[in-house]
Amino acid sequence: MECKLREIANVALIQVAGRIDHTTAKAFEDALSPHVAGCAGEEKILLLDFSGVTFISSAGLRVLMIAAKQCRKQKGKIALAALQPMIQEVFQISRFDSLFEVFPTVRAALQAISPAAVSAYDGQ
Amino acid sequence: MPTTNTASLTVPAEVESVTRCTEFVAAWVAAAGFPLARVPELELVIEEVVVNICQHAYGDAPGEIEFFCASSSSRDLVLEFIDSGKPFNMLTLPAPDFTAEVEQRQVGGLGVPLVRAMVETATYRRESNRNILRLSVRLAR
Repeated sequence: MECKLREIANVALIQVAGRIDHTTAKAFEDALSPHVAGCAGEEKILLLDFSGVTFISSAGLRVLMIAAKQCRKQKGKIALAALQPMIQEVFQISRFDSLFEVFPTVRAALQAISPAAVSAYDGQ
Repeated sequence: MPTTNTASLTVPAEVESVTRCTEFVAAWVAAAGFPLARVPELELVIEEVVVNICQHAYGDAPGEIEFFCASSSSRDLVLEFIDSGKPFNMLTLPAPDFTAEVEQRQVGGLGVPLVRAMVETATYRRESNRNILRLSVRLAR
């Protein structure tokens, strides 16, 4: 599992790749944690690009749930983009698709959550 | 198990054993000629079951898990998990409230609902001081 940060205007885009399971969930939590701490209001919106995530178990869902709760507490926004079919299935079963804003692509997500970020994204 | 092509593996009851079990079943599915499309779901089922056995049946104490896989028909795989921990039927664990808002949603408790959704049937029995969980998974249409 790897996480790469890309700052686009007021969006912290975290590109996640690999498997999020019982062996990698802690590393995922540690990588996400500083960005979740800064996720507040419109100043910093967190977007997780899941196009490279091939597997997620309940250990990974737990990390996402904790992040969602903290963001909500800080009145921040967290969204996900580009879920692969296996991840979509897990999100549907666990109803995470109704807890999180989920977009088909990163661009669609940026367009919905930050006009400034989508302009910067298109300009890159 | 009253099935064919049975293969078994015994592993220590620790979460590190998940990978051995998933590799074992993936190899079995390939050797049995089943399609590999559902292997990720099988890996998910195995991880959730093994983690639950380690945490609840053994309470993170040392122990073993016997793991069987077999074909019960031309399209179904049967997985059986046997442990000698305390009586534990994970199928009776209450599911979290899926309709709750983020603030009220429980953290955790999603493993068994995921397992239930991925399998065709799930049965539990306690026999000779052992927990026996049997799951059947449809691999081919």
